[in-house]
Amino acid sequence: MGVIIGPRVIEAGLSLRLVLISPVAVAAGFPSPAQDYFDGRIDLNEHLIKDITSTYIVRVSGDSMEQAGISDGDELIVNRALEPRDGSVVVAVLDGELTVKRLKVTAAGVVLQAANPLYPDINVPALADLTIWGVATRCLHHV
Amino acid sequence: MSSSRQQIALVDVNCFYASAERAFDPSLEGKPLVVLSNNDGCAVTRSPEAKALGISTGDPWFKLAPRAKEWGLIARSSNYELYGDISSRVMELLGRYSAWLEVYSIDEAFLGIKGSPEKVVGLGRTIKAAVQRNVGVPVCVGIAATKTLAKLANRWAKNNPALGGVCRWESMEPEVRELLMARLPVSEVWGVAGRLEKRLNALGICTILELSRADPVMVRDRFSVVLMRTVLELRGTPCIPLEEERMGRDQLIFSRSFSTPLASAPEFRQVLSVYAQQASARLARHHLQAKVLTAFAGTSHYNPKDKSFPSVCVPLPMPTSDPVLLTRAAHALLPAIQDGVKYARAGIMVTDLRPSGNQQPLEPFANPHEERGIGPLVEQVSRKCGRGTIGLGFAGLRTGLDWSMKREMRSPRYTTHWDELPVVRAA
Repeated sequence: MGVIIGPRVIEAGLSLRLVLISPVAVAAGFPSPAQDYFDGRIDLNEHLIKDITSTYIVRVSGDSMEQAGISDGDELIVNRALEPRDGSVVVAVLDGELTVKRLKVTAAGVVLQAANPLYPDINVPALADLTIWGVATRCLHHV
Repeated sequence: MSSSRQQIALVDVNCFYASAERAFDPSLEGKPLVVLSNNDGCAVTRSPEAKALGISTGDPWFKLAPRAKEWGLIARSSNYELYGDISSRVMELLGRYSAWLEVYSIDEAFLGIKGSPEKVVGLGRTIKAAVQRNVGVPVCVGIAATKTLAKLANRWAKNNPALGGVCRWESMEPEVRELLMARLPVSEVWGVAGRLEKRLNALGICTILELSRADPVMVRDRFSVVLMRTVLELRGTPCIPLEEERMGRDQLIFSRSFSTPLASAPEFRQVLSVYAQQASARLARHHLQAKVLTAFAGTSHYNPKDKSFPSVCVPLPMPTSDPVLLTRAAHALLPAIQDGVKYARAGIMVTDLRPSGNQQPLEPFANPHEERGIGPLVEQVSRKCGRGTIGLGFAGLRTGLDWSMKREMRSPRYTTHWDELPVVRAA
Protein backbone atom coordinates (compact mmCIF):
# COMPACT_ATOMS: atom_id res chain seq x y z
CA MET A 1 0.00 0.00 0.00
CA GLY A 2 1.38 3.29 -0.99
CA VAL A 3 1.06 6.17 1.39
CA ILE A 4 0.00 9.43 -0.12
CA ILE A 5 1.03 12.44 1.87
CA GLY A 6 0.00 15.75 0.44
CA PRO A 7 0.67 19.27 1.64
CA ARG A 8 -1.22 19.72 4.85
CA VAL A 9 -1.74 21.93 7.80
CA ILE A 10 -1.49 20.54 11.28
CA GLU A 11 -3.12 22.51 14.01
CA ALA A 12 -1.72 21.63 17.37
CA GLY A 13 -2.67 22.89 20.76
CA LEU A 14 0.37 24.73 21.93
CA SER A 15 1.15 26.78 18.91
CA LEU A 16 -0.30 26.89 15.48
CA ARG A 17 1.86 24.49 13.60
CA LEU A 18 2.23 25.14 9.94
CA VAL A 19 3.91 22.43 7.97
CA LEU A 20 4.80 23.11 4.41
CA ILE A 21 5.80 20.74 1.70
CA SER A 22 5.65 16.97 2.22
CA PRO A 23 7.54 14.21 0.47
CA VAL A 24 6.09 12.81 -2.72
CA ALA A 25 3.76 9.82 -2.87
CA VAL A 26 5.64 6.56 -2.66
CA ALA A 27 4.60 3.70 -4.92
CA ALA A 28 4.28 0.23 -3.41
CA GLY A 29 7.38 -1.91 -3.64
CA PHE A 30 9.50 0.73 -5.29
CA PRO A 31 11.64 2.83 -2.99
CA SER A 32 11.84 6.48 -3.87
CA PRO A 33 15.29 7.51 -5.04
CA ALA A 34 14.78 10.75 -3.11
CA GLN A 35 14.17 8.99 0.18
CA ASP A 36 17.76 9.13 1.39
CA TYR A 37 17.86 12.87 0.79
CA PHE A 38 14.77 13.71 2.76
CA ASP A 39 15.95 15.47 5.87
CA GLY A 40 12.72 16.82 7.34
CA ARG A 41 10.36 19.44 6.01
CA ILE A 42 10.78 23.14 6.37
CA ASP A 43 9.09 23.91 9.60
CA LEU A 44 7.70 27.42 9.83
CA ASN A 45 7.66 27.18 13.61
CA GLU A 46 11.38 26.77 13.68
CA HIS A 47 11.97 29.84 11.54
CA LEU A 48 9.23 32.18 12.64
CA ILE A 49 8.80 31.29 16.30
CA LYS A 50 11.99 31.76 18.26
CA ASP A 51 10.43 31.11 21.65
CA ILE A 52 7.22 29.14 21.93
CA THR A 53 6.48 30.37 25.43
CA SER A 54 6.33 34.01 24.43
CA THR A 55 5.09 34.00 20.84
CA TYR A 56 1.46 34.69 19.99
CA ILE A 57 -0.29 35.26 16.70
CA VAL A 58 -2.76 38.15 16.44
CA ARG A 59 -4.98 39.46 13.68
CA VAL A 60 -4.93 43.06 12.49
CA SER A 61 -8.10 45.08 12.16
CA GLY A 62 -7.81 48.43 10.37
CA ASP A 63 -5.55 50.19 7.91
CA SER A 64 -3.45 52.49 10.09
CA MET A 65 -0.27 50.44 9.52
CA GLU A 66 -0.77 50.14 5.78
CA GLN A 67 2.55 51.81 4.87
CA ALA A 68 4.46 49.47 7.16
CA GLY A 69 3.19 46.62 5.03
CA ILE A 70 0.56 45.59 7.54
CA SER A 71 -2.95 45.43 6.11
CA ASP A 72 -6.40 44.85 7.50
CA GLY A 73 -6.84 41.11 8.12
CA ASP A 74 -3.14 40.25 8.18
CA GLU A 75 -1.72 38.13 10.97
CA LEU A 76 1.21 39.29 13.04
CA ILE A 77 3.67 37.11 14.89
CA VAL A 78 4.27 38.81 18.20
CA ASN A 79 7.06 37.98 20.61
CA ARG A 80 6.40 39.20 24.14
CA ALA A 81 9.92 38.46 25.33
CA LEU A 82 11.62 41.01 23.04
CA GLU A 83 12.69 44.37 24.37
CA PRO A 84 10.79 47.11 22.51
CA ARG A 85 13.18 49.54 20.81
CA ASP A 86 13.00 52.72 18.81
CA GLY A 87 11.38 51.75 15.53
CA SER A 88 9.84 48.47 16.72
CA VAL A 89 6.34 47.66 15.58
CA VAL A 90 4.63 46.96 18.86
CA VAL A 91 1.31 45.80 20.18
CA ALA A 92 0.46 48.26 22.94
CA VAL A 93 -2.40 48.47 25.39
CA LEU A 94 -4.36 51.64 24.64
CA ASP A 95 -7.71 52.36 26.29
CA GLY A 96 -8.15 48.72 27.19
CA GLU A 97 -7.49 47.54 23.66
CA LEU A 98 -4.59 45.88 21.92
CA THR A 99 -3.34 48.31 19.28
CA VAL A 100 -0.52 47.98 16.76
CA LYS A 101 1.75 51.02 16.31
CA ARG A 102 5.36 51.91 15.56
CA LEU A 103 7.32 52.89 18.66
CA LYS A 104 9.46 56.04 18.48
CA VAL A 105 11.68 56.72 21.46
CA THR A 106 12.96 60.31 21.56
CA ALA A 107 14.55 62.58 24.14
CA ALA A 108 11.18 64.28 24.60
CA GLY A 109 9.36 61.04 25.31
CA VAL A 110 7.70 58.21 23.52
CA VAL A 111 5.55 58.43 20.43
CA LEU A 112 3.26 55.79 19.01
CA GLN A 113 3.07 56.33 15.28
CA ALA A 114 0.67 54.97 12.76
CA ALA A 115 2.05 54.12 9.33
CA ASN A 116 -0.66 56.02 7.55
CA PRO A 117 -0.81 59.85 7.36
CA LEU A 118 -4.52 59.76 8.12
CA TYR A 119 -3.85 58.76 11.72
CA PRO A 120 -2.27 61.15 14.28
CA ASP A 121 0.71 60.32 16.49
CA ILE A 122 0.07 59.51 20.10
CA ASN A 123 2.50 61.10 22.57
CA VAL A 124 3.31 59.26 25.76
CA PRO A 125 5.42 61.03 28.41
CA ALA A 126 7.60 57.99 29.17
CA LEU A 127 7.95 54.38 28.18
CA ALA A 128 7.03 53.44 31.74
CA ASP A 129 3.56 54.95 31.26
CA LEU A 130 2.89 52.59 28.43
CA THR A 131 2.09 48.90 28.48
CA ILE A 132 3.77 47.17 25.58
CA TRP A 133 2.06 43.83 25.08
CA GLY A 134 4.63 42.50 22.64
CA VAL A 135 6.88 43.21 19.70
CA ALA A 136 5.78 42.18 16.21
CA THR A 137 8.43 40.21 14.36
CA ARG A 138 6.63 39.18 11.18
CA CYS A 139 3.54 40.04 9.25
CA LEU A 140 1.69 37.29 7.44
CA HIS A 141 0.34 39.41 4.64
CA HIS A 142 -2.41 38.10 2.40
CA VAL A 143 -1.35 38.41 -1.21
CA MET B 1 26.14 23.36 54.20
CA SER B 2 22.51 24.24 54.45
CA SER B 3 22.87 26.85 51.72
CA SER B 4 23.57 24.24 49.06
CA ARG B 5 20.74 21.99 50.17
CA GLN B 6 17.88 21.37 47.82
CA GLN B 7 15.09 23.93 48.12
CA ILE B 8 11.62 23.67 46.68
CA ALA B 9 9.89 26.50 44.87
CA LEU B 10 6.15 26.43 44.34
CA VAL B 11 5.20 28.63 41.42
CA ASP B 12 1.50 29.34 41.13
CA VAL B 13 -0.36 31.58 38.69
CA ASN B 14 -2.46 34.20 40.48
CA CYS B 15 -6.19 33.72 39.78
CA PHE B 16 -5.18 31.60 36.82
CA TYR B 17 -8.32 31.54 34.68
CA ALA B 18 -9.06 35.22 35.23
CA SER B 19 -5.44 36.15 34.49
CA ALA B 20 -5.47 34.11 31.28
CA GLU B 21 -8.61 35.98 30.17
CA ARG B 22 -7.01 39.33 30.96
CA ALA B 23 -3.83 38.52 29.07
CA PHE B 24 -5.73 38.86 25.80
CA ASP B 25 -8.40 41.32 26.81
CA PRO B 26 -6.88 44.31 28.62
CA SER B 27 -10.33 45.86 29.03
CA LEU B 28 -10.90 43.32 31.82
CA GLU B 29 -8.01 44.80 33.81
CA GLY B 30 -9.13 46.27 37.11
CA LYS B 31 -12.69 45.02 36.73
CA PRO B 32 -14.46 42.40 38.80
CA LEU B 33 -14.31 39.21 36.75
CA VAL B 34 -15.45 35.67 37.45
CA VAL B 35 -14.81 32.58 35.38
CA LEU B 36 -17.63 30.06 35.53
CA SER B 37 -17.51 26.29 35.86
CA ASN B 38 -18.86 23.77 33.35
CA ASN B 39 -22.21 24.76 31.89
CA ASP B 40 -21.80 28.21 33.39
CA GLY B 41 -22.80 26.81 36.78
CA CYS B 42 -20.86 28.72 39.37
CA ALA B 43 -17.85 30.97 39.88
CA VAL B 44 -14.60 29.00 39.97
CA THR B 45 -12.09 31.83 39.65
CA ARG B 46 -12.46 35.41 40.86
CA SER B 47 -10.34 38.41 40.13
CA PRO B 48 -9.27 40.37 43.23
CA GLU B 49 -11.96 42.94 42.39
CA ALA B 50 -14.60 40.20 42.35
CA LYS B 51 -13.31 38.91 45.69
CA ALA B 52 -13.64 42.45 47.04
CA LEU B 53 -17.33 42.37 46.09
CA GLY B 54 -17.71 39.46 48.46
CA ILE B 55 -18.18 36.85 45.75
CA SER B 56 -17.06 33.40 46.86
CA THR B 57 -15.79 30.45 44.90
CA GLY B 58 -18.78 28.26 44.16
CA ASP B 59 -21.36 31.04 44.11
CA PRO B 60 -23.93 29.98 41.51
CA TRP B 61 -24.09 32.23 38.48
CA PHE B 62 -27.89 32.43 38.48
CA LYS B 63 -27.64 34.17 41.85
CA LEU B 64 -24.91 36.57 40.75
CA ALA B 65 -26.33 37.38 37.31
CA PRO B 66 -29.22 39.63 38.44
CA ARG B 67 -26.81 41.96 40.23
CA ALA B 68 -23.91 41.71 37.76
CA LYS B 69 -24.82 44.90 35.96
CA GLU B 70 -25.09 46.98 39.09
CA TRP B 71 -21.71 45.63 40.30
CA GLY B 72 -20.05 45.91 36.90
CA LEU B 73 -19.29 42.21 37.26
CA ILE B 74 -18.12 40.42 34.13
CA ALA B 75 -18.44 36.66 33.71
CA ARG B 76 -16.66 34.35 31.32
CA SER B 77 -17.35 30.70 30.58
CA SER B 78 -14.40 28.37 31.05
CA ASN B 79 -12.14 28.48 28.03
CA TYR B 80 -10.19 25.27 28.57
CA GLU B 81 -8.41 25.47 25.23
CA LEU B 82 -6.93 28.82 26.24
CA TYR B 83 -6.08 27.79 29.80
CA GLY B 84 -4.47 24.56 28.63
CA ASP B 85 -2.22 26.41 26.21
CA ILE B 86 -1.26 29.12 28.70
CA SER B 87 -0.53 26.43 31.27
CA SER B 88 1.76 24.52 28.93
CA ARG B 89 3.64 27.74 28.11
CA VAL B 90 4.15 28.46 31.81
CA MET B 91 5.33 24.90 32.51
CA GLU B 92 7.63 24.92 29.52
CA LEU B 93 9.17 28.17 30.72
CA LEU B 94 9.53 26.90 34.31
CA GLY B 95 11.36 23.83 33.00
CA ARG B 96 14.13 26.14 31.83
CA TYR B 97 14.96 27.00 35.42
CA SER B 98 15.17 23.51 36.85
CA ALA B 99 15.51 19.94 35.64
CA TRP B 100 13.34 18.93 38.56
CA LEU B 101 9.85 20.08 37.70
CA GLU B 102 6.64 18.60 38.98
CA VAL B 103 3.56 19.92 37.26
CA TYR B 104 1.20 19.87 40.21
CA SER B 105 -1.91 21.27 38.60
CA ILE B 106 -2.93 23.37 35.63
CA ASP B 107 -1.55 26.47 37.35
CA GLU B 108 1.04 25.26 39.85
CA ALA B 109 4.37 23.50 39.69
CA PHE B 110 7.08 22.51 42.15
CA LEU B 111 10.68 23.16 41.13
CA GLY B 112 13.79 21.86 42.80
CA ILE B 113 16.35 24.66 43.16
CA LYS B 114 19.73 25.02 44.87
CA GLY B 115 21.91 27.81 46.14
CA SER B 116 22.28 30.46 48.80
CA PRO B 117 19.18 32.19 50.18
CA GLU B 118 19.97 35.29 48.10
CA LYS B 119 20.43 33.19 44.99
CA VAL B 120 17.20 31.24 45.29
CA VAL B 121 15.17 34.35 46.08
CA GLY B 122 16.81 36.03 43.07
CA LEU B 123 15.85 33.04 40.95
CA GLY B 124 12.29 33.33 42.24
CA ARG B 125 12.17 36.96 41.09
CA THR B 126 13.65 36.03 37.71
CA ILE B 127 11.01 33.33 37.26
CA LYS B 128 8.20 35.69 38.27
CA ALA B 129 9.36 38.34 35.81
CA ALA B 130 9.90 35.84 33.00
CA VAL B 131 6.43 34.31 33.25
CA GLN B 132 4.83 37.76 33.32
CA ARG B 133 6.92 38.96 30.39
CA ASN B 134 6.83 35.85 28.19
CA VAL B 135 3.44 34.34 28.78
CA GLY B 136 1.60 37.35 30.18
CA VAL B 137 0.22 36.01 33.46
CA PRO B 138 1.27 36.93 37.03
CA VAL B 139 2.71 34.30 39.35
CA CYS B 140 3.82 34.10 42.95
CA VAL B 141 6.73 32.01 44.15
CA GLY B 142 7.04 30.31 47.52
CA ILE B 143 10.40 28.80 48.43
CA ALA B 144 11.13 26.47 51.34
CA ALA B 145 12.85 23.29 52.40
CA THR B 146 9.70 21.21 51.94
CA LYS B 147 6.71 21.16 49.62
CA THR B 148 4.28 21.82 52.45
CA LEU B 149 6.21 24.89 53.58
CA ALA B 150 6.67 26.06 49.98
CA LYS B 151 2.88 26.04 49.72
CA LEU B 152 2.62 28.17 52.86
CA ALA B 153 5.33 30.54 51.64
CA ASN B 154 3.51 30.91 48.32
CA ARG B 155 0.33 31.78 50.14
CA TRP B 156 2.15 34.36 52.22
CA ALA B 157 3.72 35.83 49.06
CA LYS B 158 0.24 36.21 47.58
CA ASN B 159 -1.26 37.93 50.61
CA ASN B 160 1.62 40.20 51.47
CA PRO B 161 2.23 42.76 48.71
CA ALA B 162 5.43 43.96 50.41
CA LEU B 163 7.14 40.72 49.39
CA GLY B 164 6.72 41.45 45.70
CA GLY B 165 5.33 38.00 44.98
CA VAL B 166 8.33 35.98 46.15
CA CYS B 167 8.72 34.54 49.64
CA ARG B 168 11.37 32.23 51.04
CA TRP B 169 10.01 30.64 54.19
CA GLU B 170 13.31 30.26 56.02
CA SER B 171 14.25 33.89 55.29
CA MET B 172 11.48 35.12 57.56
CA GLU B 173 12.12 35.64 61.25
CA PRO B 174 11.13 32.56 63.28
CA GLU B 175 8.67 34.70 65.27
CA VAL B 176 6.97 35.84 62.06
CA ARG B 177 6.68 32.28 60.82
CA GLU B 178 5.17 31.12 64.11
CA LEU B 179 2.76 34.00 64.17
CA LEU B 180 1.65 33.17 60.64
CA MET B 181 1.19 29.49 61.44
CA ALA B 182 -0.67 30.36 64.62
CA ARG B 183 -3.11 32.54 62.69
CA LEU B 184 -3.97 29.96 60.04
CA PRO B 185 -6.48 27.19 60.74
CA VAL B 186 -5.18 23.69 60.23
CA SER B 187 -7.44 23.27 57.20
CA GLU B 188 -5.23 25.76 55.36
CA VAL B 189 -2.31 23.40 55.32
CA TRP B 190 -1.65 21.44 52.16
CA GLY B 191 -3.24 17.99 52.36
CA VAL B 192 -5.64 18.54 55.27
CA ALA B 193 -9.21 18.27 54.06
CA GLY B 194 -12.51 19.01 55.81
CA ARG B 195 -13.20 15.80 57.72
CA LEU B 196 -9.64 15.60 58.96
CA GLU B 197 -9.95 19.11 60.30
CA LYS B 198 -12.81 18.17 62.64
CA ARG B 199 -10.90 15.19 64.00
CA LEU B 200 -7.81 17.32 64.58
CA ASN B 201 -9.84 20.04 66.26
CA ALA B 202 -11.28 17.42 68.60
CA LEU B 203 -7.71 16.78 69.77
CA GLY B 204 -7.13 20.48 70.31
CA ILE B 205 -5.15 20.92 67.11
CA CYS B 206 -6.75 23.94 65.48
CA THR B 207 -3.93 25.95 63.91
CA ILE B 208 -1.07 25.04 61.64
CA LEU B 209 1.34 25.87 64.45
CA GLU B 210 -0.39 23.35 66.72
CA LEU B 211 -0.19 20.71 64.00
CA SER B 212 3.51 21.37 63.51
CA ARG B 213 4.03 20.80 67.24
CA ALA B 214 1.99 17.62 67.42
CA ASP B 215 3.78 14.36 68.16
CA PRO B 216 4.46 12.72 64.78
CA VAL B 217 4.10 9.18 66.17
CA MET B 218 0.75 10.02 67.70
CA VAL B 219 -0.36 11.56 64.41
CA ARG B 220 0.72 8.46 62.52
CA ASP B 221 -1.09 6.12 64.91
CA ARG B 222 -4.29 8.12 65.14
CA PHE B 223 -4.43 9.35 61.57
CA SER B 224 -2.04 8.20 58.89
CA VAL B 225 1.51 8.15 57.66
CA VAL B 226 0.46 10.81 55.17
CA LEU B 227 -0.48 13.26 57.93
CA MET B 228 2.67 12.42 59.85
CA ARG B 229 4.63 13.47 56.80
CA THR B 230 2.77 16.75 56.77
CA VAL B 231 3.80 17.34 60.40
CA LEU B 232 7.44 16.59 59.58
CA GLU B 233 7.31 18.79 56.52
CA LEU B 234 5.96 21.67 58.58
CA ARG B 235 9.05 21.24 60.77
CA GLY B 236 11.30 21.48 57.72
CA THR B 237 12.03 17.82 57.04
CA PRO B 238 11.30 17.02 53.40
CA CYS B 239 9.30 13.80 53.06
CA ILE B 240 6.79 14.29 50.26
CA PRO B 241 8.56 13.14 47.12
CA LEU B 242 8.10 14.00 43.49
CA GLU B 243 4.76 12.75 42.23
CA GLU B 244 3.95 11.50 38.80
CA GLU B 245 0.22 11.48 39.07
CA ARG B 246 -2.07 14.14 40.45
CA MET B 247 -5.76 14.46 40.94
CA GLY B 248 -6.91 18.04 40.98
CA ARG B 249 -10.37 19.49 41.27
CA ASP B 250 -10.98 19.72 37.56
CA GLN B 251 -8.03 18.00 36.01
CA LEU B 252 -5.92 14.90 36.13
CA ILE B 253 -2.30 14.89 35.07
CA PHE B 254 0.03 12.02 34.24
CA SER B 255 3.51 13.20 33.56
CA ARG B 256 7.01 11.98 34.18
CA SER B 257 10.58 12.27 33.11
CA PHE B 258 12.10 9.16 31.57
CA SER B 259 15.18 7.43 32.94
CA THR B 260 16.37 6.98 29.38
CA PRO B 261 15.09 9.42 26.78
CA LEU B 262 12.48 8.22 24.30
CA ALA B 263 13.37 8.75 20.69
CA SER B 264 10.84 6.94 18.53
CA ALA B 265 7.17 7.15 17.68
CA PRO B 266 6.44 3.49 18.55
CA GLU B 267 7.81 4.05 22.05
CA PHE B 268 5.70 7.17 22.40
CA ARG B 269 2.64 5.34 21.16
CA GLN B 270 3.15 2.93 24.05
CA VAL B 271 3.79 5.55 26.72
CA LEU B 272 0.81 7.65 25.66
CA SER B 273 -1.40 4.55 25.62
CA VAL B 274 -0.32 3.68 29.15
CA TYR B 275 -1.04 7.21 30.39
CA ALA B 276 -4.39 7.33 28.63
CA GLN B 277 -5.42 4.03 30.15
CA GLN B 278 -4.30 5.12 33.60
CA ALA B 279 -6.30 8.28 33.15
CA SER B 280 -9.30 6.25 32.05
CA ALA B 281 -9.10 3.98 35.09
CA ARG B 282 -8.63 6.96 37.38
CA LEU B 283 -11.57 8.81 35.89
CA ALA B 284 -13.78 5.74 36.14
CA ARG B 285 -12.82 5.24 39.77
CA HIS B 286 -13.87 8.79 40.56
CA HIS B 287 -16.99 8.57 38.37
CA LEU B 288 -15.72 11.37 36.20
CA GLN B 289 -15.57 12.06 32.51
CA ALA B 290 -13.23 14.40 30.70
CA LYS B 291 -14.01 16.72 27.86
CA VAL B 292 -10.51 17.79 26.84
CA LEU B 293 -7.23 15.90 26.64
CA THR B 294 -3.84 17.55 26.35
CA ALA B 295 -0.79 15.48 25.46
CA PHE B 296 2.72 16.87 25.61
CA ALA B 297 6.37 15.93 25.43
CA GLY B 298 9.61 17.76 25.83
CA THR B 299 13.33 17.44 25.39
CA SER B 300 15.68 18.10 28.26
CA HIS B 301 16.49 21.73 28.86
CA TYR B 302 20.08 20.70 29.28
CA ASN B 303 20.18 19.54 25.70
CA PRO B 304 19.98 22.81 23.75
CA LYS B 305 20.85 21.09 20.48
CA ASP B 306 17.60 19.22 20.04
CA LYS B 307 14.79 21.46 21.17
CA SER B 308 11.29 20.13 20.80
CA PHE B 309 8.21 20.70 22.96
CA PRO B 310 5.24 19.36 21.05
CA SER B 311 1.82 19.59 22.61
CA VAL B 312 -1.73 18.99 21.39
CA CYS B 313 -5.01 19.94 22.95
CA VAL B 314 -7.79 17.62 21.81
CA PRO B 315 -11.44 18.37 22.52
CA LEU B 316 -13.04 14.96 23.01
CA PRO B 317 -16.12 14.11 20.97
CA MET B 318 -18.09 13.68 24.20
CA PRO B 319 -17.30 13.69 27.91
CA THR B 320 -15.69 10.32 28.35
CA SER B 321 -13.58 8.04 30.46
CA ASP B 322 -13.41 5.48 27.68
CA PRO B 323 -9.87 4.14 27.23
CA VAL B 324 -10.23 3.80 23.46
CA LEU B 325 -11.29 7.41 22.98
CA LEU B 326 -8.68 8.73 25.40
CA THR B 327 -5.91 6.66 23.83
CA ARG B 328 -6.89 7.81 20.38
CA ALA B 329 -6.87 11.42 21.55
CA ALA B 330 -3.46 11.02 23.21
CA HIS B 331 -2.08 9.60 19.98
CA ALA B 332 -2.81 12.92 18.29
CA LEU B 333 0.57 13.94 19.67
CA LEU B 334 2.40 11.34 17.56
CA PRO B 335 2.61 13.31 14.30
CA ALA B 336 4.30 16.11 16.25
CA ILE B 337 6.99 13.83 17.67
CA GLN B 338 10.21 14.35 15.75
CA ASP B 339 11.94 11.15 14.82
CA GLY B 340 15.39 10.78 16.35
CA VAL B 341 14.96 13.61 18.84
CA LYS B 342 15.52 12.45 22.43
CA TYR B 343 12.57 13.36 24.60
CA ALA B 344 13.13 13.57 28.33
CA ARG B 345 9.50 13.71 29.40
CA ALA B 346 5.94 13.26 28.32
CA GLY B 347 2.53 13.42 29.81
CA ILE B 348 -1.17 13.75 29.35
CA MET B 349 -3.63 15.96 31.15
CA VAL B 350 -7.39 15.54 31.08
CA THR B 351 -9.37 18.63 31.93
CA ASP B 352 -12.91 19.88 32.01
CA LEU B 353 -14.03 16.98 34.20
CA ARG B 354 -17.63 16.36 35.12
CA PRO B 355 -19.54 13.58 36.91
CA SER B 356 -20.24 10.66 34.62
CA GLY B 357 -23.81 10.08 35.82
CA ASN B 358 -25.87 11.89 33.24
CA GLN B 359 -24.29 10.48 30.12
CA GLN B 360 -23.75 6.93 31.27
CA PRO B 361 -26.36 5.22 29.08
CA LEU B 362 -24.79 6.70 25.96
CA GLU B 363 -21.34 5.33 26.56
CA PRO B 364 -21.92 1.60 25.88
CA PHE B 365 -23.35 2.10 22.46
CA ALA B 366 -21.31 5.07 21.35
CA ASN B 367 -18.24 3.04 20.61
CA PRO B 368 -19.55 0.01 18.74
CA HIS B 369 -21.50 2.41 16.58
CA GLU B 370 -18.35 4.28 15.88
CA GLU B 371 -16.73 1.08 14.65
CA ARG B 372 -19.64 0.45 12.30
CA GLY B 373 -19.32 3.86 10.77
CA ILE B 374 -22.41 5.36 12.38
CA GLY B 375 -20.42 8.43 13.32
CA PRO B 376 -19.48 9.40 9.76
CA LEU B 377 -23.05 8.66 8.64
CA VAL B 378 -24.48 10.99 11.26
CA GLU B 379 -21.91 13.58 10.28
CA GLN B 380 -22.93 13.22 6.63
CA VAL B 381 -26.60 13.66 7.40
CA SER B 382 -25.89 16.64 9.65
CA ARG B 383 -23.84 18.29 6.99
CA LYS B 384 -26.58 17.79 4.43
CA CYS B 385 -29.57 18.65 6.58
CA GLY B 386 -28.08 20.84 9.30
CA ARG B 387 -26.86 20.37 12.84
CA GLY B 388 -29.33 18.89 15.25
CA THR B 389 -31.40 17.13 12.59
CA ILE B 390 -30.01 13.78 13.65
CA GLY B 391 -28.45 12.61 16.89
CA LEU B 392 -27.67 9.53 18.90
CA GLY B 393 -30.23 8.47 21.47
CA PHE B 394 -32.63 10.69 23.33
CA ALA B 395 -29.97 13.23 24.11
CA GLY B 396 -29.48 14.03 20.49
CA LEU B 397 -33.07 14.91 19.68
CA ARG B 398 -34.96 16.02 22.76
CA THR B 399 -32.69 18.50 24.42
CA GLY B 400 -29.89 19.05 22.00
CA LEU B 401 -26.65 17.19 22.35
CA ASP B 402 -26.20 16.46 26.02
CA TRP B 403 -22.46 16.92 25.84
CA SER B 404 -22.48 20.17 24.00
CA MET B 405 -21.56 22.23 27.00
CA LYS B 406 -23.05 25.56 27.73
CA ARG B 407 -20.29 28.11 27.34
CA GLU B 408 -22.26 31.12 26.30
CA MET B 409 -19.82 33.64 27.68
CA ARG B 410 -16.66 32.00 26.42
CA SER B 411 -13.91 34.25 25.13
CA PRO B 412 -12.22 33.36 21.83
CA ARG B 413 -9.82 30.42 21.89
CA TYR B 414 -7.06 32.91 21.12
CA THR B 415 -4.10 30.57 20.89
CA THR B 416 -5.45 27.33 19.51
CA HIS B 417 -7.96 28.32 16.83
CA TRP B 418 -6.94 30.22 13.72
CA ASP B 419 -10.38 31.79 13.37
CA GLU B 420 -10.33 33.12 16.92
CA LEU B 421 -6.97 34.92 17.10
CA PRO B 422 -6.78 38.02 19.29
CA VAL B 423 -7.55 41.14 17.28
CA VAL B 424 -5.22 44.14 17.42
CA ARG B 425 -6.53 47.50 16.30
CA ALA B 426 -4.78 49.40 13.57
CA ALA B 427 -6.82 52.57 13.85
